[in-house]
Amino acid sequence: MGARRVSVDRYQDHLFNPADLSEAVDLDVERRKLILFAEAKLAEWTHWQVLGLPWNSSVEAVRAAYIDQVKLFHPDQYPGKRLGSYRTRLERVFRRVTEARDVLVSEEKRAAYVLATAPALERTRIEARRLEDERRSTERRGRLARHNPLLARAERISELLKRGRELMAAGRFAQAANDFQLVASLDPGGTEAGPLAAEARKKAGAARVAECIDRGLAAETMGSWPGALAAYRAALEAEPANARALILASRASTEAGDPGAARDLAEQAIRVQPRSAAAHEALGAALEAAGKRGDARKALERAVEIDPRLDSAKERLKKLRWSFLG
Amino acid sequence: MSEMDPVVGIDLGTTNSVVATVRDGVPLVIPNRSGQQLTPSVVAVARNGKALVGALAKRQAITNAENTVYAAKRLIGRRWGSKEVEDARRVLPYTLVAGPDGNDVRITLGGKPVSVAEISAQVLGELRADAEAWFGVPVSRAVITVPAYFNDGQRQATKAAGRIAGLEVLRIINEPTSAALAYGFGKKLEKKVVVFDLGGGTFDISVLDIGQSVYDVVAVGGDTYLGGEDFDRRVMDWLTFNFARENGGVDLRQDKMALQRLRDAAERARCQLSSTPTADIHLPFLVAGGDGKAALHLTKQFTRDKLEELTKDLVERCVAVTEKTLKDAGVRPAQVDEVILVGGMTRMPRVQKAVRDFFGREPCKGVHPDEVVALGAAIQAHALAAPPKPGSEVLLLDVTPQNLGILVVGGYFQTIIPRNTTVPTNQTHLFTTVQDNQTSVRIAVLQGESDKATDNELLGEFVLAGIRPARRGEVSIEITFDISADGIVGVSARDVATGQEQSINVTATSGLTEDELKRIIDENLDDLLEKKQSTVDLERSRARVTTAIAEIEALVPAVQAALERSRFGRDAVQKAEGVLARARLALDGKDTAELARVEEALERTLQLFKGLAASPPQGA
Repeated sequence: MGARRVSVDRYQDHLFNPADLSEAVDLDVERRKLILFAEAKLAEWTHWQVLGLPWNSSVEAVRAAYIDQVKLFHPDQYPGKRLGSYRTRLERVFRRVTEARDVLVSEEKRAAYVLATAPALERTRIEARRLEDERRSTERRGRLARHNPLLARAERISELLKRGRELMAAGRFAQAANDFQLVASLDPGGTEAGPLAAEARKKAGAARVAECIDRGLAAETMGSWPGALAAYRAALEAEPANARALILASRASTEAGDPGAARDLAEQAIRVQPRSAAAHEALGAALEAAGKRGDARKALERAVEIDPRLDSAKERLKKLRWSFLG
Repeated sequence: MSEMDPVVGIDLGTTNSVVATVRDGVPLVIPNRSGQQLTPSVVAVARNGKALVGALAKRQAITNAENTVYAAKRLIGRRWGSKEVEDARRVLPYTLVAGPDGNDVRITLGGKPVSVAEISAQVLGELRADAEAWFGVPVSRAVITVPAYFNDGQRQATKAAGRIAGLEVLRIINEPTSAALAYGFGKKLEKKVVVFDLGGGTFDISVLDIGQSVYDVVAVGGDTYLGGEDFDRRVMDWLTFNFARENGGVDLRQDKMALQRLRDAAERARCQLSSTPTADIHLPFLVAGGDGKAALHLTKQFTRDKLEELTKDLVERCVAVTEKTLKDAGVRPAQVDEVILVGGMTRMPRVQKAVRDFFGREPCKGVHPDEVVALGAAIQAHALAAPPKPGSEVLLLDVTPQNLGILVVGGYFQTIIPRNTTVPTNQTHLFTTVQDNQTSVRIAVLQGESDKATDNELLGEFVLAGIRPARRGEVSIEITFDISADGIVGVSARDVATGQEQSINVTATSGLTEDELKRIIDENLDDLLEKKQSTVDLERSRARVTTAIAEIEALVPAVQAALERSRFGRDAVQKAEGVLARARLALDGKDTAELARVEEALERTLQLFKGLAASPPQGA
């Protein structure tokens, strides 16, 4: 009774064909069941199950289990016995066992199979480890690259270009221009960095001008004309021909009591933008402060002519006329 | 049981063959009827039309070179027109012709074309007869060894040879595996072993994992055209060249008898140089001088250094094959626990040195290089014939030596079963039709290492006919290639949709069609029955002669004493000695008629001696 239960358990309620169990061969019933059961499970079982091993058993364990299985399922292990249909059954099981062994001891095939048959939890763990390994290897590659002069240069160039673009996008044009300039010098053959550097420089200049002008205007509201003048002059250093900066600087010079410089600046502004009413107005103001009323009036008239709605100029011109009349 | 129904293992070698068995759990070599362990693999038809095998055939080779076949193993299963056969034709003294279908090789022997399998069958038959004489009962089952690197055709031909010799071939096994089996038998081993087998005609190398009595072959490699014969040929070429230079251009190759003597001398000298640094080659009256001048002699001192110089590249080839095979096995030389040397050529010091250098260890000296293969075959035969006694179980897991595949479009070779796959094995390949209403497909099965189909050995072609007509690509045919434990290839096909099966015969390249084989076996059966009867008669006759000789010898002192006292019959003892000498000679041969005559003469002498010994002393 007990033996029977064991056999039922072992074969998981597998239904044996009575014809197979009664075939006229020299094998006892237990051996027949063993062979029939193994044959029935050929397709269903994993390589691990075929060898009777837990998942991810070592190569040594696989080899040892293979020897055990082969001793059961190799037809040569039944010399001088009538095997009937069991010969083909044994051969099929033997081939399956051999296939399992071949895969599980193979350097190339084993890893993929281990992953494919892994329990869910194990699989995530393996996947996490794989990602970590990948990250490490990228890092290692980077480290290696830095130590290889040629690779390092290429790596550095692409890094600088990338950073330059990021800086451009962030509006930090001066730093971007620096990076592009560096790339152009590292890689004189490259066609990308030159124009990028020029563009960045241009944008950097404009940004600087705008920034200085803002500072100057802020100083003006504080009533500090010399501070404003210094800011506008800084803007002019970044872009000497910036009309707006020239005009603002001229105005500030006039207010700060330097009409000579104010006139020069206004004249420069007019050369850059001959049709700028503000420039002509600034020139007028500078000339007025220098006491050249007639010239001032001409300049202001020109300003109003260009822009009739320029009220500050009209106002100044009216005052000039009054004083002239008065 | 084993005493009742004996099984044997046969090492069918290029130059020598050995038969062995297992008795009381001990493997041992069966000596042939001349008491030798080795039987030369030589078959001849003597001038009087008698078939000779073994030492007798070898002995008369010089005077009968054209009708003496040696090294048939190099031709077995080979195709007519192959490079190997063309090379052999140039150097062999016997004549090769194409078989009836123009595919295989026949040897002209005694004026008749004979298949190579039949030649090998004669050697097997001789060994079988030796075994039967030793056991005293018929022997019908055997395991026969072949070089591991033999392809399907060569294995099939060897198996056919066994059948022709009246043997049920239990298994064809590989020589190196067999050697490993003999090496490990009865020991509890857990080892990685390499067998380096350089024989008379072939070189084999095998890597095995031995554990728990299972001999698991990991990888094999080899060259079926590299062995002692090639070493000897180098020596012969050198001798011929020098002889021509010293004798005004006399070409020894034109004289078959001279060539045969040269071959013997080269082989002897080469063997001698394994133990001594120099060897003298002396062949008096080798060829006629021409123009009535005196005959020419060949005298040459040959040194080991010279031999090594002449054969340097052959040894290097062995090392290259060894390297590749270890790579296949994924084993480094240092991981190998034991190197076993097999085959007579491994006695050459330069070969041993090459092995030592490569593996960085001393090769195993514990096996007899000439006998170990036959002993292993006997162990396997024993294991396959009957349930083994505990402690003597063995299980061989061998591999297929070459890629098996098919010819695909563009003349390429597609591997289906890769080399070093454990046998038995099978592999399924799916074919689909490539034309509308295609009803047949021709499939060429090849074995070899090259990607180009033409560089590989064509095992056979078959046509899969009767495919149901359909649009192209709609019919799938599943073709299963299987390789048996013998290393022999089988093919079967099945229409996937209809399940209709078709069994295909890959045309055997053994040179014998199945019909031809059956006819030869039938013919031989009568012959064998007759031979068996005559063998039994012969043995009985020999037994009687041996007893008679012993009885006569025992009576000699008494007869001599009697004769001293007599005035007549003084020459009786001399006459008797003549009879005894003739009887001993007859014992060595197999001529039943001569034995019968000798028996008679012995009987008369015995009667005379008995009379003389019993005669009363006459007056002094």
